[in-house]
Amino acid sequence: MKKYTQTSGEIGDFSQLPIWQKYALVDLLYVAYGLLIVALVLVSYVLGMFNLLPHDPQQINIELLMASPLSDGYLLGTDFLGRDILSRLIMGIQAYFLPGLLAISISLIVGVVLGVLSGYRGGRIETVIVYFTNLIDSFPRLVLILLVIAAFKPDIYYIMIVMGITGIPTVTTAIANKIRFLAQKSFIEAAIALGLRTRVIIMKHILWYNCRALLIIQATLGMGEAILLETSLSYLGFGVQEPVSSWGNMVQSGANYFLQGNFWPSTAPALAILFTILGFNLLGDGLNNILEDRRGR
Amino acid sequence: MTAAITPPLLKIDNLRTYFYARSKHSFVRAVDGVSLEVGHSETVGVVGESGSGKSIAAMSVMGLISAGPGVIGGSIKFASHRVQKNLLEGLDKFVKVEEQHGRVMVVHKDDSGWQNASERIMGSLRGKEIAMIFQNPRASLNPYITVGEQLTEAIRLHTANKSPKESTERALYWLERVKIDSPRLRFDSYPSAMSGGMCQRAMIAMALSSEPSLLIADEPTTGLDATIQSKIVDLMEELKSETGISTLLISHDISVISRLADRVAVMYGGAVVEYGSAQLVLGEDASIKHPYTAALLASVPSEQKIRDKDNLQTIDGDVLDTINVPPGCRFFARCNQVTPEIKEKCATHHPDLREIAPGHQVRCWRFNG
Amino acid sequence: MLKELALAFLLLLGVSFIVFAILYAAPGDQLNVLLEGQLPTPEVRAGVREALGVAQSWYGQYFSWLLGVLSGNFGTSIRTGLPVGPELLSVSLNTLYLTLGSMLVTLLIAIPIALYASARGHLVSISWPLTMLGYVISALPVFWLGYIAIYISIHWFNFFPLASLGRQSDVNGWLYTFVPVMVLGLGSGTISEVIRNLREEMTRVMAEDYVRTARAKGASVWRHAFKEGLLIPVTEIIAAKIPFILGGAVIVEQVFNWPGMGRMAWQAAQDRDFSVIMGIALIAATFVRLGSLLQRTICAAVNPQHARE
Repeated sequence: MKKYTQTSGEIGDFSQLPIWQKYALVDLLYVAYGLLIVALVLVSYVLGMFNLLPHDPQQINIELLMASPLSDGYLLGTDFLGRDILSRLIMGIQAYFLPGLLAISISLIVGVVLGVLSGYRGGRIETVIVYFTNLIDSFPRLVLILLVIAAFKPDIYYIMIVMGITGIPTVTTAIANKIRFLAQKSFIEAAIALGLRTRVIIMKHILWYNCRALLIIQATLGMGEAILLETSLSYLGFGVQEPVSSWGNMVQSGANYFLQGNFWPSTAPALAILFTILGFNLLGDGLNNILEDRRGR
Repeated sequence: MTAAITPPLLKIDNLRTYFYARSKHSFVRAVDGVSLEVGHSETVGVVGESGSGKSIAAMSVMGLISAGPGVIGGSIKFASHRVQKNLLEGLDKFVKVEEQHGRVMVVHKDDSGWQNASERIMGSLRGKEIAMIFQNPRASLNPYITVGEQLTEAIRLHTANKSPKESTERALYWLERVKIDSPRLRFDSYPSAMSGGMCQRAMIAMALSSEPSLLIADEPTTGLDATIQSKIVDLMEELKSETGISTLLISHDISVISRLADRVAVMYGGAVVEYGSAQLVLGEDASIKHPYTAALLASVPSEQKIRDKDNLQTIDGDVLDTINVPPGCRFFARCNQVTPEIKEKCATHHPDLREIAPGHQVRCWRFNG
Repeated sequence: MLKELALAFLLLLGVSFIVFAILYAAPGDQLNVLLEGQLPTPEVRAGVREALGVAQSWYGQYFSWLLGVLSGNFGTSIRTGLPVGPELLSVSLNTLYLTLGSMLVTLLIAIPIALYASARGHLVSISWPLTMLGYVISALPVFWLGYIAIYISIHWFNFFPLASLGRQSDVNGWLYTFVPVMVLGLGSGTISEVIRNLREEMTRVMAEDYVRTARAKGASVWRHAFKEGLLIPVTEIIAAKIPFILGGAVIVEQVFNWPGMGRMAWQAAQDRDFSVIMGIALIAATFVRLGSLLQRTICAAVNPQHARE
């Protein structure tokens, strides 16, 4: 049975309702969880940067191999060489954090420029831009990156630039579609008729007021994908090398032990990947629903 | 005269269909206690402005309302030669309504249970006993399937002509009957290749090909060009006399209603405010009308007015907001016939439908004791 | 139709140009080695090097490489010294097999869930646990999922899925491919998006006027909603996801030691064997464009308006 209740007396004003009544609980939870993850990542990044870790991530302790979590000062236990897993996980964030930011910056900045050109100008420019986005989209990301690795050195920054470039089409098409949608609503025509300068129209009205949500969401999803990509690459053996830890190479080196029944050294980083990417994806999805008011209650 | 012996084909009694505006935490009282009847071989027109609830009422009869809470009360009795049923039978066990000061404040509804039970009732009736045609005929036909196939689908489902040859024959017969040009060509066309008028003719053919007892026409001329509109009305007049079908005709266009309807119901703000024969309701005598009806009729310019280039008559105020339903008469804010004696009553009490002449009911304090 | 083919051709041309340009910009002598690798014998190669005292223009090199590729000559592998072409063919088929299988798995899981969720109507309520499951699966690193699958199949089913892809007897052969296909189908990160997309499309189509007419006439709603609500969205989203599935294949092939394009690409990146990796990049892009072409053809065939243009 579903219950529909009418507020008695004055009809409630939506904008003044407290936040937990305005939006669906699910979306708020998504956003809360996502923000928590983002906070954890940021904190861990800083900790890693200043080496404020519980233990040395590369310190081998022969007497403490494969300690289980919560044993004796090792919060998440140790791996097959006795190294502290928690510290290694925290350090692992260094591998993808800055490169990931670089990647999404490239995607967003270039993507917005191309998207605005394509959506606002249309015509020949749009055809050319669509051609280029289709072109970039034709490559599976990993294959393109492997190509770049074969040609140049396997430097994570080169890789992230490629990652950024491959992220451009999504942003471009999203922005261009949004602009086309807004154009149908004729307020762009109205703005032009009012004599607003093109730059103002684009920057203020289109991007800031209308595309904010879109961009934030693309940023969060992009970060999730960057993490997935970096971990996949380091799993494959490119990027950060042992003994420096990255979540991907941690899973890879623990693989044999996993198949023998010692799950933890591979599982801990895998779970870290899972929860982190989940956090970014849910953040993006929750924000999307809240800002575009999609759900009913 | 309402027949005392045979029950009317369709009898709607106190139908209530509400929706829920989540952002405002309140009910949209789209249909708030509507009662009307359609007799055999009779056309009943329902007229009113957008937002008066007429389309929603029609869809409620067909069981096509899926948004919550939807239909929450009333009865819809259908009695043709072949079938007699209450279309809302047994559905009240899925709904519980709480009222305060006569207004519904809380609704408990088991949506899926209600839908399933409704489907069981309506499933055998839709298309076969009761057919419905809609506005925007081009959008109401499947763009991916040929018109002919959509027609034969209806025929195969609801008549005895199941074989491809028979159903095609019958489909072509009906396409000819709705005076569509080049029926064979249209049969193999897609809706996107046809104009609005032709699509509407095809829809009418589709609806009538299974020879239903009741046709519900929801704004059949809206969205069509003016000249085409009158042609469609011509067609409906012809079919009405040829087949003797009963029609529930919904429209905001009074000229359409006046040409086709035997009886007329005027709806405002989710309720029927006047109900009677077409002559009485649409006639000249303003003293026996609901103020809204009078204003509506006056707003259609007469020949003389057009020639004199007179100002158009308007109705003051805005359409009723069915969320913020006022306590008294719903038309009170826009009524220009309020007298000092009844003013307070109009503002605070919602009038009932009272019979002011045989077969003519009005919901107005001017006519009540 | 012709327009579509021309478009695909132009795009592939662009792809080849990018692939070439990357190598051109690379430090070292790669380019010359690549071009030389396309020549049939060492003697001819030596002869050409003499003749080409002058550095060729870049477009000359591009065209000569491209012509080679179009005639099947992808150059010579640095690692094995063998021509790349024939090798590429067999590994591509293996990967294609994996890719198609995993698409099937994804659809078999996603379509029922999406249809169920859209039939329910409410966006939240009952479909939530399933949606959440979809999110979690999409965020799982596919390599870890692979290890779990291997562990389960070894320890629970006594089945070692890493045996090489020899021509086993039919029943066993089928089983060996089952596990990696399942893993790729689940783990390519596409499931939750496919579910969401399909559900949205179906819900949107269910609200269309013509579906309302179908309901009003007592016809099968599913039959009317199918084309626009399921067929077209499925082909669209699958075609769009091909690049991601291929990317996932690189990893899954690594985990399961599957002799496909992905594993070959990995090897080539390690060895900096660019003729191999370039060939793979081209073939991967070709798969993507073929998928897109197929999807647009289906769309045109189903949609009468498109067909008329």
